Amino acid sequence: MKKSNLDEMQEQALLRIEHTGCCLVFWGLLAAMAVQGVMGAGIRELAGEWIVFMVLALYLVIGCLHHGIWDRKLKPNAKTNFIVSLLAGIAVGIFMAAVYFRNVQEWLDLVLITVIPAVCTFVLCFAALTVCAALYKKRREKLDQE
Amino acid sequence: MARNLAVKAARAQKDMTQKDLAAAVGVSRQTINAIEQGEYNPTIKLCRAICRALGKTLDELFWEDDNNEKE
Repeated sequence: MKKSNLDEMQEQALLRIEHTGCCLVFWGLLAAMAVQGVMGAGIRELAGEWIVFMVLALYLVIGCLHHGIWDRKLKPNAKTNFIVSLLAGIAVGIFMAAVYFRNVQEWLDLVLITVIPAVCTFVLCFAALTVCAALYKKRREKLDQE
Repeated sequence: MARNLAVKAARAQKDMTQKDLAAAVGVSRQTINAIEQGEYNPTIKLCRAICRALGKTLDELFWEDDNNEKE
């Protein structure tokens, strides 16, 4: 392997810069998709950003699970997963309300348009987090035994 | 993190500049400066390289009393 031009402190500084860059890309893409969605962009217009976002998200999830890492502060338990899923559901509900607010005539339609995706997001998010938490615990156990 | 005066003193004893020590252990001068200022916590590998270059032990250069041990 080619020798690095960086010493260990520069390497750590570069990792911090890359970490910040990764966060900017992740949240920037999410914000860009949300804004475009509110402004009326369709699935085709959002496809590029969505693919990059999902690849990044999957890479982060798989990488963390492989190394037995969950989160710096959050614990992989049902209560935390419930709260995080609830927040995701609320965020999707607000997003849907912002997208369809002008096009809906009846308040009931708006409620259905926001509540159904919000509940679906909550359920899917909670299921995904529960599965990931179980995989994390299994992996953690295996790494601890090695 | 507290300043590492032991490294600075040992380097001065050997009449080495930060640049000389950096070249001897294969890091940048900024890294040596950061270690001496207590701004960077080096890996054990780099600590050993610095000890070898300055002819000192790990204890002499990097051991801190409980009172001085700060994160």
